[in-house]
Amino acid sequence: MEINTERTDGVLVINAEGRIDGSNSAQFLESIQAVVSDDDNGVALDFGGINYISSAGLRVILLLAKELRQKQTGFGVCSLSSSVKEIFTISGFDQIISIFDSGADAVGALK
Amino acid sequence: MASKERSRRSDKEGQEQGHTYPYKILVVDDEPDLQPLILQRMRRPIRSGKYEFVFAQNGIEALQRLAAEPDIDMVVSDINMPQMDGLTLLEQIPSVNPNIRSVIISAYGDMQNIRTAMNRGAFDFVTKPLDFKDLRHTIARTLRNLVEWREALASRDQLVVLQNELDVASKIQQSILPTEFPRHENYEVHASMEPARNVGGDFYDILMLERDHVGLAIADVSDKGVPASLFMMSSRTLLKGTAIGLPQPGMVLTDVNDLLYEENETAMFVTVFYAVYSPMTGKLDYANGGHNPPLVIHADGSSEFIPPVGGIALGIARGIPFAQGSLTLQTGDTLLLYTDGVTEAMNAESEEFGAERLQAIFLENPPTSAQATNDAVFAAVHAFAGDTPQSDDITCLSISRTSG
Repeated sequence: MEINTERTDGVLVINAEGRIDGSNSAQFLESIQAVVSDDDNGVALDFGGINYISSAGLRVILLLAKELRQKQTGFGVCSLSSSVKEIFTISGFDQIISIFDSGADAVGALK
Repeated sequence: MASKERSRRSDKEGQEQGHTYPYKILVVDDEPDLQPLILQRMRRPIRSGKYEFVFAQNGIEALQRLAAEPDIDMVVSDINMPQMDGLTLLEQIPSVNPNIRSVIISAYGDMQNIRTAMNRGAFDFVTKPLDFKDLRHTIARTLRNLVEWREALASRDQLVVLQNELDVASKIQQSILPTEFPRHENYEVHASMEPARNVGGDFYDILMLERDHVGLAIADVSDKGVPASLFMMSSRTLLKGTAIGLPQPGMVLTDVNDLLYEENETAMFVTVFYAVYSPMTGKLDYANGGHNPPLVIHADGSSEFIPPVGGIALGIARGIPFAQGSLTLQTGDTLLLYTDGVTEAMNAESEEFGAERLQAIFLENPPTSAQATNDAVFAAVHAFAGDTPQSDDITCLSISRTSG
C-alpha cells in the first residue's frame, strides 16, 4: 500500500488509498512507523482515499494510538468516508480515537 | 498408577534418550507457595540440567505461555484456578500444542474431577498434599511416554508435525464452535460459520443459563493466526465463565472487557454482541461491544436493526461500562446475529453487500425457521459475491420464538 505524507506546522499528515484489511495491515503499520519522526507534534491519518477498513486495519490504528500516546504525540484520523465512519461508530472506535473532518482540522487540533 | 519400580526404570530410560536436556515443564497453579517448593524439592534434576520449570498462575496464562514457548514438553496443572481452571485448560492444550503431555494435581479422592481430567486427555494425576517423590516419578514416566510418542511421529511425514500456523489457528477456531443446538418448545436456535481461506476470527456461542434462559453470543476477533486464535479462545472462555455467573449482559461484557484488557499486550480486540433470552416471555436483554447491530425479523418479513446501546470493542480500554438494552420477540419473530463478513462481503464491482440487501432477503422470503434464516443469508451473500473471493469469515446465529 502506497502512502503519501506531508508535514504542516509539525503535524505529519499521512494519506492512504484503497482498502486496509488483513492482507496489507501489517505493511501499512510498518510504512507509517517508518515515516513518523520523534519531532512530530502530531500524526493524522487522512482516510479520504480509503473506502474500507477491516478489523485488522482498526487494530493498526489502535497500535499507532498506543505508541504515539507513549511518546506524547497527538493522534487522529480525518476525512472519513461515510462507510469508514460507520465502521468507526459500530466498533466504538469513535469514542477512543479523535476524528476530524479534514486534514486542516487535524493539523489545527494536533499542532 | 504404576509401581515405584516401574517409574524408576522409566526415569532411567528417559535419561538415555537422545532428547537435548533439559525437559521444560510448565507448572500451573494459583498458589504462590508452589513455585519455591518445586524449585527446592526438584533442585537436583534442575541443577543437573535435566529439568527446567516454568510457571503460570492460571489456564489462560498457561495457554499463552504454551503458544509462545513451543519447546515446553509437559504441563503439571492444578484444577481450581481463577480465570481458566485446569479442566478447561486440558481441553484447550491440544489445539495449541498437540505434542504435550499433561498431569493434573487434584484433591485426594476427588474422583469426579480426576475422571473428567482423564477424559480430557490428562496423561496422569498426582494428589494434594503433594508427595514430591510421587511427583518426580510421575514426571519421569510422563516424559518417557512423550519421548516414545515423538519417536513414533518422527518416522512419519514431517509435515504432519510441523503444521502450518493458519492451519492450527483454523483448528482452534473450529474446535470452539458448538454444532449441536438446544431444543425447546418455545424457541429454535441455529448458528453457522463459513471460514474465509485466510482464517478470520469469528466465533459464536449458545449458553444454557439458569431458569431456562439462553445466552447468545457472536464475536469477531481483530486479527488472524495463532495469537489471534488464543485471544479468541480466552474471549470465548471468559465470556462463557462470566455469563454463567451473571444474568445481566451489560455486566458480563464489562467484566469480560476488563479481564481481556489485563492480559492484552498486542492491541488485539474483539467485537461481541451478547444477549440473554428468556423463552417464557420472549424478552431479550442485550449489550453490544462494538459489534454489528442484529436484525429482528418479523413473520411478515419486515425487519429492523435493534436500537444501538453504545459500547466499544472489548480489550481496548479498561473499566468502561456497557449499557444494556432490551426488547421482546413476538411469536414468529426471529433475531439474526451476524458478523461483518455478511454486510461487508464484496462483489466483482467492489460493492458491499450492506444492510439493505440483508433486510431485502426477508421481504421476499419471510423466515420459516432459525436455520432457514441463516441459510437464506448465506445463499444471498454467495449469489451477490459470485466469484469474488471471500475475505472474511461469515457467521450467522438466529433464534426464532416459535410459541410461548
